[in-house]
Amino acid sequence: MKTDLSINFAGIKFKNPVFTASGTFGYGYEIADLIPLKKLGGIVTKTITLQPRSGNPQPRIAEVEGGLLNTIGLQNIGVKAFVEEPLEKLSKIGVPVIVSVAGAVAEEYTETVQILSMQKGISVVELNLSCPNLKKKIICHDLSLMQNIIKSVKKVSRVPVIAKLSPLVTDISELALTAQNAGADGITLTNTYPAMAIDVKNFKPRLSTVKGGMSGACVKPMSIRCVYDAYQRIKIPIIGCGGIMTGGDAVEFILAGAAAVSVGSASLVSPENLIKIIDEIESILKYKNIKSIKEIIGIVKNT
Amino acid sequence: MNKKFDKSYRIISNKEICTDYFELKVKAPAAAGYCYPGQFFMISIPGVFLRRPVSIYDVKKDTVSFLYKITGKGTKILSEIKSETIQLLGPLGNGYDLPPNTASSSLKSEKKSPGFSPVIIAGGTGIASVHFLAAKLKTRGTLYYGARSKKDLLCLNKFRKIGWKIIVSTEDGSKGHKGYITNILPENLKSGDTLFACGPMPMLKKILQIAKEKNIRGFASLEEIMACGVGNCQGCAVKIKGQNKMTCKDGSIFKIEDIDF
Repeated sequence: MKTDLSINFAGIKFKNPVFTASGTFGYGYEIADLIPLKKLGGIVTKTITLQPRSGNPQPRIAEVEGGLLNTIGLQNIGVKAFVEEPLEKLSKIGVPVIVSVAGAVAEEYTETVQILSMQKGISVVELNLSCPNLKKKIICHDLSLMQNIIKSVKKVSRVPVIAKLSPLVTDISELALTAQNAGADGITLTNTYPAMAIDVKNFKPRLSTVKGGMSGACVKPMSIRCVYDAYQRIKIPIIGCGGIMTGGDAVEFILAGAAAVSVGSASLVSPENLIKIIDEIESILKYKNIKSIKEIIGIVKNT
Repeated sequence: MNKKFDKSYRIISNKEICTDYFELKVKAPAAAGYCYPGQFFMISIPGVFLRRPVSIYDVKKDTVSFLYKITGKGTKILSEIKSETIQLLGPLGNGYDLPPNTASSSLKSEKKSPGFSPVIIAGGTGIASVHFLAAKLKTRGTLYYGARSKKDLLCLNKFRKIGWKIIVSTEDGSKGHKGYITNILPENLKSGDTLFACGPMPMLKKILQIAKEKNIRGFASLEEIMACGVGNCQGCAVKIKGQNKMTCKDGSIFKIEDIDF
């Protein structure tokens, strides 16, 4: 019996539910010689902004127990340079490309998406509304700004639009519902967790911006809870994200309600983890005698 | 060239060579032939989340060695590792951009390059990556090596054996000149020298300043905290000629005159 790993996410077909996570995959070809990229379900790009950004000063990375903090600060080459070279290379891999987009105001998001909309090879746009490492406050903490961004991007985008949200809110299901009502075709839960670490050798913060975003195995149970809560309230599909290291972790997210998952920190530790996760999901489904991954999305309920 | 592997290799030995300094030797037939001086591997260490970047210390046939100091939890666990194998990703980084005809046959061509005068400046465990470089250079030169104290000076015999002139300094004065190695550089460096520097950031900054004043060219190996080692996370960005470059992928070796400290 062949196990069917394919999913349909916001009208787009993916051959399996394992995507890269934004900001952990460069522009897609840094690890092309290490793993077969075409086996991936989807590729989420580094977040792109209208203008190039040089990012935050060093240090940008601090390891913590079971994960890491980062404050990259959305360093990227800007949308114009992105569509010239990396996008073309990415679209040749043969895997749906999800372009992550950020900005400070709604116009920056819409202008960036307008430029992207003129290009071929983009399957989905993911709005990064939750970067914790910019000087301004996290966008999805301002509900009217977030709604405004989603609505205006929806008007100009030719492809489905996903909203990537922050876990740092009082009620994630309310936030997810707000994104859905503004017109989002799907949501990604969650971005990194605002966090901080201090070096006791010199009494200084371990990141240049003092605070950063936490990811890795240590955040997984919190992100699964977010997916579970949101799934009870919304109809649009969810990409689960946060600390997925194994196929078992990915299946947990799917059981909680995610239709797909994105893997970030695990691929920084070892790019091979991306492929292992796909294979392990398949083994779990075979072991449980389940024909299609679609059968188990959100089946864990409060009984 | 520039081929990297993510593989599990057999550990040949992992021994303390002097207090807190360890040499890890692995049998890495796949990767050994692609290793270039100045490159590094990301080493998986059970019990810590991220891999650790460690410079290549030496390569002999199919064996790759690393020299590391216990500086924290990761290197402590590495020094006590009991498993028979270890997962390594590499070789990574660009390695030293050697002038033509300066390296032994396994690197470039056989002939010596006239007028090439290599000067290696190492601080602390920076000695590891330049040791592999010295072993590969056909031309002998001078090593300037600074460490905290006499017990932190490593590999002196190895440099002596291959015919390098050695000048050392220690911060406590227990061997060689007392103070930083950079204190004695200005009077000794010549404009025709090619510098190869590896060590802590304050040392590299000082070398950059001296090299600029005396108009000496050279290369420096930079070090930043890395998560992935391949350019994906963009955690190790440095400013090179006003542009953001990744220490792991675009470096870790940069031309001294291009680095914006």
